Amino acid sequence: MALPNQQTVEYPSFKLVIVGDGGTGKTTFVKRHLTGEFEKKYEPTIGVEVHPLDFSTNCGKIRFYCWDTAGQEKFGGLRDGYYIHGQCAIIMFDVTARLTYKNVPTWHRDLCRVCENIPIVLCGNKVDVKNRQVKAKQVTFHRKKNLQYYEISAKSNYNFEKPFLYLARKLAGDANLHFVEAIALAPPEVHIDIAAQQLHEQELVAAASQPLPDDDDDAFE
Amino acid sequence: MASTADPERKEEEEAAAGEEEDTGAHVAPIVRLEEVAISTGEEDEEVILDLKAKLYRFDKDGNQWKERGAGTVKLLKHKETAKVRLVMRQSKTLKICANHLVIPTMSVQEHAGNDKSCVWHAADFADGELKDELFCIRFQSVENCKNFMETMQEVAESQQKKEESKDASDTAGLIEKLSVEDKKSEEKTKEEDTVADKEEKVAESEKKVEEPASST
Repeated sequence: MALPNQQTVEYPSFKLVIVGDGGTGKTTFVKRHLTGEFEKKYEPTIGVEVHPLDFSTNCGKIRFYCWDTAGQEKFGGLRDGYYIHGQCAIIMFDVTARLTYKNVPTWHRDLCRVCENIPIVLCGNKVDVKNRQVKAKQVTFHRKKNLQYYEISAKSNYNFEKPFLYLARKLAGDANLHFVEAIALAPPEVHIDIAAQQLHEQELVAAASQPLPDDDDDAFE
Repeated sequence: MASTADPERKEEEEAAAGEEEDTGAHVAPIVRLEEVAISTGEEDEEVILDLKAKLYRFDKDGNQWKERGAGTVKLLKHKETAKVRLVMRQSKTLKICANHLVIPTMSVQEHAGNDKSCVWHAADFADGELKDELFCIRFQSVENCKNFMETMQEVAESQQKKEESKDASDTAGLIEKLSVEDKKSEEKTKEEDTVADKEEKVAESEKKVEEPASST
C-alpha cells in the first residue's frame, strides 16, 4: 500500500501497521532498520510516519510500508484511517513497563476491527534492560489470540529481523523464505580534487575527537 | 548476541526454546513468490579481509557518530580490474551498510580515545548513489583494528601504483595516437594532391573535348 506521493516499486509491497503504547520503541525500531542508528532520545510520533523498508529474500526483493503510528492517545487522531488496508501488523509493548503489556488487548481489538485475518506479531521490546517488569513466561496474550510473539531489543538488535521475516513468510505462504545478501553493485569511480580532500581531512580530524555512542558494549549482532 | 553477558540471558534462552514455534493464526497468503537466482554482486571478487565490526557514520548536523550497522566488513579485490572495495553488510538482514572503492587518496586515521576503532572518509555507494560520508568502524579487538588499518593503507598505496602505471600507459597511448595522426594527416595531404592532380587532368581533358566543339 503506497501513499499517493510515494514512489511505487515493481516488487511486492505490503502495508505494515505498527501500534502500541507511547514510548515502547516503535519509531526506534523502524529507524534501526532504516538507517542502523539507535535513537535514545524520546520524541513522540505525531499522527503517523510512513517509511518504506526493503528486504532481499530468496524470492526477490520485498517492501514493507511501515506505518509507524502515534502511541500516545493525545497524538493519535484518525486511528482507523491508519489501519485501513493494513496487510500485516506489529503490536509493540515494553517489557520494562507493565502497563504497556496490559494495553495490548486494546490495541489488538482496535486493529482487528479494521483489519481482519492479517498476520500479526506481538513484540516485547527492551529485553536488554536488566529490570524487567514483564517476564517471558508472563506473556500469554499471543496464545489466546493466535499471534506470533518475539522478544526483541532495538538496542542490541536481538531478534530484530524476526518480526519482518515472520510476516514475509506468512504473506507469501512460504515457510522457507529467508533473507539473502542484497546485491552490492560496483561503486562508480570517484575523483576527489585537492581542495575537497583537504576539507574531508579537516572534517575527519574533528569527527575523530568525538566519542562513539555505545563504546561500552562489545556485542556485534 | 550469544556472546553477551546478560543476566536476562537465561530467560531469553528459555523463551527462545519456544520461540520458533508458530503460534500465529492461519492466514491465507496474499502473494505468490517464486524462488529467484541470487547475486551478491561479489562473484568476481576475491576476499582479502573479512572481520566482524560495527560501523558508524558522522552526523555533521548533530556533530555526533550514529550507528550504521553491525555485521561483517570485507575488502574485496576484483579479479580482473584489481580494484578493491569495502563492503559491509548488516548481520541477519544482510543489507548493505557501506560499499565504496578504496582509492589512493584514502587515509584511515586513529579514533581518539579508542584503539579498537578508526575513521576515514569515503564516497559511499551503499544506497545506490554516491554520498560523502565520514565513517568510524569499531572492532572486537585492538588487533583486528590494527589489521584493518594496515590492510586499508596497503591497498590505498597499491591502488596509487596502479593508477601511476595506468597514467604512464595512458600517456604512452596518447603519444602513439598523436604520431599515428601525424602520419594520417601526411597521407591525407598526399591523397589530396593526387585528387587535385586528377581533377586538373579531368579539367584538361574536358577542355580538350570542349575545344573541338568551340571550333565549330
